[in-house]
Amino acid sequence: MLRWIAGRVVSAAVTLLGISLLIFVAVRLMPGGYEDVILGPLAGPEQRAAVAARFGLDQPVFVQFFLWLGALVRGDLGISMVTQAPIVDELALRLPLTTLLAAMSLTVTLLVGVPLGVLTAVRGGGGRGGAAGRLLSAIGISLPEFVLGSVVIYVFSRYALGLRIGGFATGASGSGAAFQALILPALVLSVFSVAATARTTRDAVLGVLVEPHIAAAIGRGESPWHIVRHHVLRNIGIPVLTLLGSVVAYLLGGAVIVESLFNISGLGSYMVSALGRRDFGVVQATVLFTAAAFVVVSLLTELASGLLDPRVATTRKGVR
Amino acid sequence: MTLVSFARRSRVAPRRRDGLFTVAAGVLAVIAATAAIAAVVPFAGDPDAIVGPRLSPPSARWPFGTDALGRSLLARVLEGAGTTLLVSIAAVTATAVVSTLLGMVAGYCGGPLREAVTRLGDVLYAFPSIVLAVLVAAVVGPGLACAVAAIVLVTVPLMTRMITAAAASVAERDFVTTAKISAVPAPVILGRHVLSNIGGTIAVQGTYALSVGILVEGGMSFLGYGVQPPQSSLGSLIQQGGAYMAHAPWLLFTPALVLVLAILSINLIGDTLRDRLEPRETRSLG
Repeated sequence: MLRWIAGRVVSAAVTLLGISLLIFVAVRLMPGGYEDVILGPLAGPEQRAAVAARFGLDQPVFVQFFLWLGALVRGDLGISMVTQAPIVDELALRLPLTTLLAAMSLTVTLLVGVPLGVLTAVRGGGGRGGAAGRLLSAIGISLPEFVLGSVVIYVFSRYALGLRIGGFATGASGSGAAFQALILPALVLSVFSVAATARTTRDAVLGVLVEPHIAAAIGRGESPWHIVRHHVLRNIGIPVLTLLGSVVAYLLGGAVIVESLFNISGLGSYMVSALGRRDFGVVQATVLFTAAAFVVVSLLTELASGLLDPRVATTRKGVR
Repeated sequence: MTLVSFARRSRVAPRRRDGLFTVAAGVLAVIAATAAIAAVVPFAGDPDAIVGPRLSPPSARWPFGTDALGRSLLARVLEGAGTTLLVSIAAVTATAVVSTLLGMVAGYCGGPLREAVTRLGDVLYAFPSIVLAVLVAAVVGPGLACAVAAIVLVTVPLMTRMITAAAASVAERDFVTTAKISAVPAPVILGRHVLSNIGGTIAVQGTYALSVGILVEGGMSFLGYGVQPPQSSLGSLIQQGGAYMAHAPWLLFTPALVLVLAILSINLIGDTLRDRLEPRETRSLG
């Protein structure tokens, strides 16, 4: 077991290293250098050289990579080229909003998606109800956030429905206001994850329902809900947990479109605006944070799966 | 309904959704066909020509209304649907080829090769799709080619992972072992035995990848990193329509409806394909 955990951690670390390398290379490949961003097009060669020396750009590229990696390990993400402020501080300002948004969406997903999946598997498996359920869940995963978000903005700005669009507050200005402003974006984000969670839960429940111990329970005359509570729910933990892990990771970094649409100054909108301004340090830091969040959350869900079901840890094939 | 009756019914599950599948295939065919015909014979008019007053609502003359420059929205939506479908289909075809080759070889050979492919896939998979797409756009510059490249990068990891797993399970089957013992060369085994047994996985994953591709193209265009004006895609039309939603909501709703219908149809087709081509034990036991 310990060996398995160590193996998982090492492999996550390797993935992280690959991710950081990929991001570093991608940012270096982007047109327009740091000097252009800071000095503009009219700067002379000696000014450019001075800036290059200050940011270590005169070093060979692989030295730059390790310098950056070293700084990362110390928790130093560098400074923003545009605002000249440390990126760590700017991230710390924006993370609470993104985290709150993610937490709200995850709550909705858990409260609606999982029960819906169990219910549709047990109850509405056949007939017209089943087809309607499948259609609804397919609609849920087919609504792009930018469409749903635009429609929500249209509806709520046209008709007074109690929730305001816009007038957004930053993370600093009180959590009550932030909570209210985040309700609609969180709901928009939840639609996809609720549908995806319901589908996965449904498949998992259907997979358990055909197992012999369920047939035995039916034979003993146990009531359906007793069977669901005692024999089904305990066995769908791993696929549902895995999916929820990727939902969390997605919510932490992937809310780019919803944040841009609703003007939420969180992580995603920070990343997009930094790309637009060619603020490479910020792009590097935010993309890395997003991908690292995904890897860490995946690792945690994998380890949790191993705890829930030791077979995952002993047979290598059990993992994914 | 009890659990017992559910389990019995599930045996006929694949037949039950024929209606939904037919409707989905029909809707997709209509969208694709009208877009394709419009690209050859512009029956709805020139998408770039200014034909009428600006922001006029849907009428007999302009069935979908006109946009902020007075262009016919019908013609623009048809062009946009064509662009979106063309970009996604081109990208997903490339994805299918790359993933099938990589996944088959990795799954069949196993060992360090599979480890390397899996690790590479994990690295790419860790980026949220829209983040990866926007990064690609920032490196190669926005445009059609960039949208194709981004969709390929977004869809390859998952499809490769699925095909690797499918190929690995086929590689353990007796007929593959028999072929190996008979000294059949590996490329022949891969082409004749492995490929023909993972066809279902390829079809299902390819279909889902197509819906993801349309989603990614839409998201990129929406953020301004996809196709560039005057060319339109459904995503860019939705983005432009959003700016006028207070005065001309049809500019937002029409392309949005077409986009959602296309994605939904493809997902429904994928669901049916999955039930038909990859029957799981859930359905076979009573």
